[in-house]
Amino acid sequence: MVSFIAGLLDATVQAATVLLLAGMGELISERAGVLNLGVEGMMLVGALGGFITTVLTGSHWLGFGVGILLGMVLALVHAFLCITLKSNQVISGVMLTLLGTGLTTFFGSGWVEESIDGFPQMTLPLVGQYLVDIPVIGEAFFRSTATDYLALGLLLVVWYFLHHSNLGLEMIAVGEDPEMADTMGVSVFRLRYLAVLIGGGFAGAAGAHLSLAFSQLWVPGMTAGRGWIAVALVIFAQWRPRRMLIGAYLFGLLDALRIRSQSISLTLGPDAPLAGVVNPVVEFLMTPQIMGTYPYLATILVLAYAVIRTKSDQLAVPSALLQSYSRETD
Amino acid sequence: MSEHTTLRMEGILKEFPGVVANDHVDLSVERGEIHGLLGENGAGKSTLMKILYGLYSQDAGDIYLDGERLDLESPQDAIAAGIGMVHQHFMLIPRLTVAENVVLGEREPATVFRRDAEDSWLPAAVRNNSLVQSLAGQFSLGLDVPEQRIQDLADEYGFDIDVSAKVWELDVGQQQRVEILKALYRDVDLLILDEPTAVLTPTEAERLFDSLERLTDEGLSIIFITHKLTEVDAIVDRVTVLREGQNVGTAEVSSVSRADLAEMMVGREVLFEIDREAVDLGDPVLRAREIRASDNRDIEALSGIDLTVRQGEIVGIAGVSGNGQKELAEVMAGIRDVTGGKLEVNGADITGAKPKTFVENGVSFVPEDRLQYGCAEDLSVMHNATMKDFRNGRFGDRPFLDYGELRDYAETLVEEFDVRGVSDVTETKAGDLSGGNLQKLILAREIYRDPELLIANQPTRGVDVGAIEFIRETLLEQRKAGTGIILISEDLDEIFDLSDRILVVYEGEFVYETTPAEADRERIGLEMTGGGGDDGGETVASPPQSGITQGSES
Repeated sequence: MVSFIAGLLDATVQAATVLLLAGMGELISERAGVLNLGVEGMMLVGALGGFITTVLTGSHWLGFGVGILLGMVLALVHAFLCITLKSNQVISGVMLTLLGTGLTTFFGSGWVEESIDGFPQMTLPLVGQYLVDIPVIGEAFFRSTATDYLALGLLLVVWYFLHHSNLGLEMIAVGEDPEMADTMGVSVFRLRYLAVLIGGGFAGAAGAHLSLAFSQLWVPGMTAGRGWIAVALVIFAQWRPRRMLIGAYLFGLLDALRIRSQSISLTLGPDAPLAGVVNPVVEFLMTPQIMGTYPYLATILVLAYAVIRTKSDQLAVPSALLQSYSRETD
Repeated sequence: MSEHTTLRMEGILKEFPGVVANDHVDLSVERGEIHGLLGENGAGKSTLMKILYGLYSQDAGDIYLDGERLDLESPQDAIAAGIGMVHQHFMLIPRLTVAENVVLGEREPATVFRRDAEDSWLPAAVRNNSLVQSLAGQFSLGLDVPEQRIQDLADEYGFDIDVSAKVWELDVGQQQRVEILKALYRDVDLLILDEPTAVLTPTEAERLFDSLERLTDEGLSIIFITHKLTEVDAIVDRVTVLREGQNVGTAEVSSVSRADLAEMMVGREVLFEIDREAVDLGDPVLRAREIRASDNRDIEALSGIDLTVRQGEIVGIAGVSGNGQKELAEVMAGIRDVTGGKLEVNGADITGAKPKTFVENGVSFVPEDRLQYGCAEDLSVMHNATMKDFRNGRFGDRPFLDYGELRDYAETLVEEFDVRGVSDVTETKAGDLSGGNLQKLILAREIYRDPELLIANQPTRGVDVGAIEFIRETLLEQRKAGTGIILISEDLDEIFDLSDRILVVYEGEFVYETTPAEADRERIGLEMTGGGGDDGGETVASPPQSGITQGSES
């Protein structure tokens, strides 16, 4: 049982990192008022680009960097379409996901057989060797890849950046009311580009982490909807970095459970009362496909709760999300 | 031109597709004065000021500030030149604090990085390094020092503002003071105020005027955009009048009469008095009994209201805003649920029916908030004009719509109600119309369908003199045509000029009833503020045909 929980936690941490990285990028982009539904595509591009680079150079850090860069390239397209050309953010985002999926399936077909030396599991310097010995959670949390630690560190950076820096304040302002920001001398255009590019970089990093640290191989479509879960995660977190940490681990846990659902038996014994009713229901709820919907269901619940609890004007969704801005057309 | 001139705008030309918003406008403002910019809605006042603030760029013309030619590419340039603007719609982010709103864009670094920090552990040489300054300005944020400065400014000018409060917690008057603080924080010499009193109560407006006078005492120059003549009298030193994008003159306020200004503004003589013919009252079109309803926060806003309106009667409802007028209007229009009571229109009991049923029973409604409830901003004038009638089969065979007929209908409305600024009824969006013209469009839609009952909530608020005149005349015409009208207004003059019967609402109840002929203004004022209710059961007078009945059943 202990080993099962330890394994589950280990898988949770690994799954959470992907969501955390992609989610942080989405969070920054949305706080500046630009919805990025291209995360899934950007992750795939980052995953394949990072993988190929690592195969060719042997350096997983170089691969990670290339992954980030490719995510940003795709994000640049999104930024150009949505900010400069003021086209519809939803359409552009979905189009980029389709594009990313298509491109990586085509160009990645030859790399499926390859194997790499990805990010090794490591312990933190100095205190790491002791932390690992903590029962149950030690191995899961303190023997991880460098990118797992990096993601947690970046969360702190993102939180600080958004809430304790001028650029962050300006970014939030641009996402709340671009016209207001403009009248205060803040460049809406530049800040939105910056936010979308950072968002793409994070998505690329999430993809690279997936292929270089998580699975250490390349499979077409390997993101398997995690980009969409990242979008849901931002809503779940109500656009706040701190809640994103909780959400990422919760969703990560659900993901880890889903993968292991076959080996979990929660059914009642045949003699237990109501076994005939309960068991089929439990079995249904534990089907991997049904479990895959849990993150979305959780998001819906959180959203409903937030709407019921607070008046809509206090809801954390950036007021100018999806709105393009130009000066002389009001 | 004198040595005191601080701002000169010369030959400003600004064209939008199909419209010349500013047609070679000149404007000069002297140091330390409050300069009024007067004009009807759509006269080009806001456009001119947006050019001055760098939001729009002019097609021709020059701007000089203290003799120097300004080239304003963006608001940043205007701010740098010492120009501040308080916009008509507040430019504040409700979710952020006062201080965050004020310092936005100023790049205030964390306190340790401030050049003027006294007890910073960082050596001055490092703090003064321009790279350090730039990085600290981007990647850190210190609100302590700015908050102190904002608080000092607020205290200096007598603003009661908590700088660490979130903006959504403030009332409208306070929000406006935050807007002014935004400009003061940037050390502006010239402050533009775009219709600052539009959102304020009379008391708040008085406070604003006091503040503005203190600002000019400090040497600030103020441009005050308005279309209210009373405000020009109250506060402005010199006034420039714009009409249809052109400057029609600048004058010392002390040397011109209100009537002259009105004529300059509208281009013809304006009648301040209205002729109200006698009309015979017909059958009751509305019978409301013991109506109760709650406001948006679920607090009871109407506590048992009885109201009867007859054909050809205008019932004026006076009261200080927030005493249930909004809820009353919404209940009568069918868009707010009643929690008790009975509502009959033309004898049909439609209590609790859908808004659509109200519409079908001949109820028309001019809401207080034109943009939010009166129209669909992003839809065309045509869609808005036909919004209430497209279902009734007059525009082609259902379920199909004949767009040609819709268009003709909309064009008729636009023409008959003199709605200006419509280049094409199918292209022009309702939200692009100026306040007065949008109001005329809404009124046209509501009246052209020959309603039995018309509820007009603040129909002339925030619209210009010409449109006010038009709207009032239209209401009187409609009264003559036999419509029963409920007129809710905070403008007592309007109530007196138009109503057959006046009801005063206070805390969700009618506390006083009278007619314009026998009304005593002081008494009404007292009743509006709840000061007249202490003489027992006498508060409700009962003239003939009174809609008010005390007691359980009439």
